[in-house]
Amino acid sequence: MSEAHLTMGAHTAPPMEDRPFAIPSKKLAMWLFIMSDVMTFAACVAAYAFLRNATPEWPRPFHSVTTVGVMTLIMITSSLSMLMAVGAAKIADKAKAFRWMMITAAGGVLFTLLHIRDWMGMMSQGVGLFQNPWGPAAFGAAFYSITGFSLLHISVGTIALIVVAIRYQGGRYNSDDIELFSLFWQFISLVWLFIVPLVYLMNQAR
Amino acid sequence: MKRYVAVYIALLIITALQFVMGYQNIGGTQLAIRFLTFAIIETIVVVLFFMNLGTEKKVFVQFVVFFMLFVLATMNYIWTDSFRLLVFRLTGLGPS
Repeated sequence: MSEAHLTMGAHTAPPMEDRPFAIPSKKLAMWLFIMSDVMTFAACVAAYAFLRNATPEWPRPFHSVTTVGVMTLIMITSSLSMLMAVGAAKIADKAKAFRWMMITAAGGVLFTLLHIRDWMGMMSQGVGLFQNPWGPAAFGAAFYSITGFSLLHISVGTIALIVVAIRYQGGRYNSDDIELFSLFWQFISLVWLFIVPLVYLMNQAR
Repeated sequence: MKRYVAVYIALLIITALQFVMGYQNIGGTQLAIRFLTFAIIETIVVVLFFMNLGTEKKVFVQFVVFFMLFVLATMNYIWTDSFRLLVFRLTGLGPS
């Protein structure tokens, strides 16, 4: 029997190509997701910047940015608490990792509630998607689109974090999964740091 | 963990500076440039230390960075048209 037949009979798989990025598949998938999300947020930011720059009398309705300051503090702090959860998960301290994840989720819930309160305040001033008391109709659509997309990420991310924490405690997820989720949480926190100056700090009432 | 706390404090300081700048009487373009500079610094810090991109293989870092920069650079096509519209609206000229 020839060598070729022997190889076929044993079902020898061809040698696999080395992984060029040398990172786990799940981590690569998360990075690709983040990169695609960057494009979506970049499009939102570009659209907002386009409208703002092309409109001479862009509204400046924000008399106080105290709530936004508190929301920013919460997001940055939740980034740190998420990293604490990753650190605890790496040393297999399940209880501590779960606790830090719950603290992070609490930050997400608080942020969501403050964000909704901020929106209610804007709505009470008469800012809708297609109208506002100050003139340029595009302001409402631009404001609600960019902040709403961020709010959607953070609120859904908070629910996902609670699910990940419960599954981690139940033994279905491991420290790698916590690290993956941390990547997403750091990203949405970073996006908020772009939205604050662009939407709120540039448009303070003077 | 000490490194994370140090980065956290740095982020808080940078963000606080942005809030202080927001209350200063700085012109629109200057303010936008300063905010963008601070946001870029925050991005570098978060991506390198909180997302640990700095510890990944060099080829992966290059892939992420070049891809992102390309996407963000192409977004800048908007500016010429936004300035054109601004001039039209301020002068009353242009297509009706």
